[in-house]
Amino acid sequence: MLGEILDDLLISASTGRCITATRHFPARPPVLAPFPSSLDPRIVEALRARGIEQLFSHQARVWELVEAARHVVVVTPTASGKTLCYNLPALQSLLDQPEARILYLFPTKALAQDQLAELEALAAALPEMRMFTYDGDTPQDARRAVRARANLVLTNPDMLHSGILPHHTKWANLFQNLRYVVIDELHAYRGVFGSHLANVLRRLKRICAHYGSRPQFIMASATIGNPRELASRVTGEAVEEITESGAPSGEKTFVCYNPPVVNPELGIRAPYLGEAAKLAIRLLKAEVPTIVFAQSRLSTEVLLTSIKQGVADRATGDAGIVRGYRGGYLPNRRRAVERELRSGEALGVVSTNALELGVDIGHLDAAVLAGYPGTIASLWQQAGRAGRRAGSSAAILVATSAPLDQFMVTHPDYLFGTPPEHARVNPDNPFILVNHLKCAAFELPLGPPAGGGPDEMETFGELDVRRELAALEDEGLLHRAGPRYHWASETYPADHVSLRTVTTDNFVVIETTFRDEKQTKKRNIIAEVDWGSAFATIYPKAIYLVESTPFVWILRRLEGRQHAAYLAEQGEVLVAEKVVGFKKIKLGTLENVGSGEVELPQQEKQTTSVWLTVAPETLERVSRSREELIDGLRAVTYLLHHLAPIFLLCDIRDLGSWLGDTTPAERGAVATREKAKQRLMQAERFQPTIYLYDAHAGGIGLAERLFEILPGLLRHGLGTLQACACGFGCPSCVGPVNEVGRRAKATAARLLSVLTA
Amino acid sequence: MSTVDDLRRVIRRIEGARPPRPAAEPVERVVDGELHETGQGTIVLVQREYPLSHRHGAEPLADAVAAPLALLARAARVDGDVAAAGGLLFLDTETTGLAGGTGTYAFLVGAALVEGDRLVVRQYFMRDFDDEPALLTALEPLLARAAAIVTFNGAGFDLPLLETRFVLARRRWPASLAHLDLLRPARRVWTGWLPDCRLSTLESAVLGLAREDDVPGGLIPLLYFDYLRTRRAGPLRRVFDHNRSDVLSLVALVGWFGRALVDGSSVRPEELAGLGRLWEPFDLERSLACYRGALGAGLPEPVAQWARLRLAWWEKRAARWTAACELWDAARQHERFDPRPWEELAKFQEHRARDLAAAHAIVQDALGLARAAGAAPSVLDAFTYRLQRLTRRLERHPGRC
Repeated sequence: MLGEILDDLLISASTGRCITATRHFPARPPVLAPFPSSLDPRIVEALRARGIEQLFSHQARVWELVEAARHVVVVTPTASGKTLCYNLPALQSLLDQPEARILYLFPTKALAQDQLAELEALAAALPEMRMFTYDGDTPQDARRAVRARANLVLTNPDMLHSGILPHHTKWANLFQNLRYVVIDELHAYRGVFGSHLANVLRRLKRICAHYGSRPQFIMASATIGNPRELASRVTGEAVEEITESGAPSGEKTFVCYNPPVVNPELGIRAPYLGEAAKLAIRLLKAEVPTIVFAQSRLSTEVLLTSIKQGVADRATGDAGIVRGYRGGYLPNRRRAVERELRSGEALGVVSTNALELGVDIGHLDAAVLAGYPGTIASLWQQAGRAGRRAGSSAAILVATSAPLDQFMVTHPDYLFGTPPEHARVNPDNPFILVNHLKCAAFELPLGPPAGGGPDEMETFGELDVRRELAALEDEGLLHRAGPRYHWASETYPADHVSLRTVTTDNFVVIETTFRDEKQTKKRNIIAEVDWGSAFATIYPKAIYLVESTPFVWILRRLEGRQHAAYLAEQGEVLVAEKVVGFKKIKLGTLENVGSGEVELPQQEKQTTSVWLTVAPETLERVSRSREELIDGLRAVTYLLHHLAPIFLLCDIRDLGSWLGDTTPAERGAVATREKAKQRLMQAERFQPTIYLYDAHAGGIGLAERLFEILPGLLRHGLGTLQACACGFGCPSCVGPVNEVGRRAKATAARLLSVLTA
Repeated sequence: MSTVDDLRRVIRRIEGARPPRPAAEPVERVVDGELHETGQGTIVLVQREYPLSHRHGAEPLADAVAAPLALLARAARVDGDVAAAGGLLFLDTETTGLAGGTGTYAFLVGAALVEGDRLVVRQYFMRDFDDEPALLTALEPLLARAAAIVTFNGAGFDLPLLETRFVLARRRWPASLAHLDLLRPARRVWTGWLPDCRLSTLESAVLGLAREDDVPGGLIPLLYFDYLRTRRAGPLRRVFDHNRSDVLSLVALVGWFGRALVDGSSVRPEELAGLGRLWEPFDLERSLACYRGALGAGLPEPVAQWARLRLAWWEKRAARWTAACELWDAARQHERFDPRPWEELAKFQEHRARDLAAAHAIVQDALGLARAAGAAPSVLDAFTYRLQRLTRRLERHPGRC
């Protein structure tokens, strides 16, 4: 059935021209290994009872390395039996030594629940198994029992950070006997979250050392470019990686689908959501189990509505075979959807990347990706949701008109040939680090290392933190007594540190017109917005997208590289941002349908950035008109900003961009888009500079990597520009023509050829 | 610290020159104590002795010695043998915060023991965080010797905190020690008639103690942090006084409970009703006697109404119908309309006395009063429904009048 539909898509005149690429991945047989001789026969028996007669090669390899006392990270595709990789050593150690303790960390509570169920099923016949979840959902009166009884605790980094480590004396037994720390979904810990986790683990290791244990880390990750590096940055240990999966996989087809152009002049394509819905409806009507991935909560709902309309039973109107799934749904509702998908009661699901993580929803035959998910790694994760160990499956990527998507579907070799991105973390981000130092001091005074003299100071991870400690003492938060720094404040520092953002201040959105069932007016909290995004998302009349204008000052230059045509530099900058107005944008087509102005305070943050200053000779070779050059450079800035996330494994919102110059500007004067242009027009020395900065205060390591890859980024920018079929610029390359001007695309192309020459 | 630059500025300032700490003004002299060498370092020890005739507020300390400990332990639901020799250790801590967890320290521990004819209060103080081993060393023999610890909210705060400190220092915490937390019985006795059950509230309302120039509890951590930074000990004197007064209040409260449990006539009627509530879970007859006594002693409203209905409920369960009906009858005279006694009386007439007409009359009166009092629709509905049912039954069995 699936094969016929795919053939149809390719052959049909209307859809055939939209398919820019297809790739077939042949079926792969399993690579098996016998049960290790050291594996407890009771576990072997439990495995046999579940129909497992042999291990996959990667499972056996993890066993070997764990036995050899190594820290390991295993990277394997969906449905390759990765949980057994860590469950086997965990269960074995509990059988060998019931006093041993094991900690499992999952990025969400739901995953911990899932894994507990799986563990319990496997360990049902084994003695001494006392496994419990411990998280925000654990009732207060059950917590004491879990602390006293559990020898395997499943939790999340947030709970470890705020509920377990600051109360480690209540967990003394766990920390004394901690044998393994299992971290599943390691790839989820990148950027801010990963930088926090690395610090939480620095704290965990301190506490373990205090109680005399030294746990071994077993980690599992979806495919990313640098699993070993990420694992060792996060744990601060040397880690072995296992990337060869021994699990079998069925035959798979990957299709790139670019919606047809409906307005060639403006480069406007048919709305991608509509195209994705059509494909999904076709599959579901043929009873092919299908998952549809949307890129936001809003588009999930839009897609769900149109797919439900498309598959609704003519007679009854029933569209119950399709479900929605996203963050924001209550846990019970999500559990129900998962169950229905596993049992086959529901045939299809429309989801955000919430289902990218290892939630068990059984096996589906087709995945429709409505929009490029932002990274190669996510792309394979989402595509991998369709696929069985035997039988064929398909994934269809439907491109939006954003530059990133257009680049991907028109460069299939890049899409299929590029290794997944590197996941970046920066555990030494000063804001994150200082916050965790406070928590660490709360947990245990910081002082001389074991066996060190009174003048020495322990490191935090591998990091020398004496200056930070002195600063915290000066702030009155720590107090030095003898050789040790003690927490000297009434507060509970973990309460003020959220692992999911750099700074912890946030705004709540309150619905003031809400009435409860008795029609009484109530203040209803409908959302929380962190400080960083608040100014761009909530403001008077905030109903549509925002236009905000940054202004950047260079604070210190850390690195520089001279090229023939430009100077590339990297360092710290101060970014002032002020929301000056908003645009109303039509969903789907991104048409601009109006605008307005708002008056809000200016917001400043210090962060890291790369900047590229074009040499005057270079500019002269491209054009004599300053205005033309500015428009062209703006176009290049737009393009680079939209392409950079491909190489950084980050969201487009993790970066900011600005076209200015390196002449110091008056501080406090934030320019509007028009004023910034005027300033450049009137500048005595015309030295335009493109800034690409890390949008998180303090930086999470994006700028350093951008500096490394800048030449490649410029080359890819030129390639994208040349491949785009539009005449004068469209949202897919340098931005819409009515914003950048009619000559911008041509100028940008000339600029980029000179810059990459 | 809002920006990286702020952090750097602070670091630069510190790296310039670290000023030497000002010479310490010796705290032991300020608080009239002495340095005490423990073998694991030195702490400040302040010792005060009080004859048992000393009154804390209106309460003589001697009453605590005379208190029937077994009875009190039962009432406070203490596990373990409180009455064993060695006596009670009255304990209160001053801490660096209320957050709990491993980063909160008990910097001052006040402990009182009865020794012969005197009450001895000892206060152990750490002059800095590195005095903590000495503080814990000093506490160990006290804990080892005591038969039981007496605290106020110690179960929720002081003891877990001390246990955390002991575990952190890799010392053994005597987990099996019997513990009498006075907050539990206090809540039973005073919740509802006092604005709250804080120790300071009980002191003024029950012990007749007016604290002069007392330092607010919330300020204490800050005073300690100030002392750590400046070494000026003057402001700490009030913290020591506060702690000592807290410890003495523990002794006085034990004395109060001891007297009240033995002889209810010595306490106010509200408190007697509260004692009824305290006894209820494990000595019902004693509890009901308290309720009756309190009502007989002129218990004020609205406590009296509560006690009547509570007592009536127990009488009903024991099928002492006359007593129950008397209480309901009194309760329905209450100046503010209360539907509960009316309902109970109607049920009694209908199901027990089998007097449908009397039941009907009661419900009819109740409905009228309820309407006049503007009662909630659910109340009106319930009475209306009951009335309709009674009317139907009366029509069916006109003979049953």
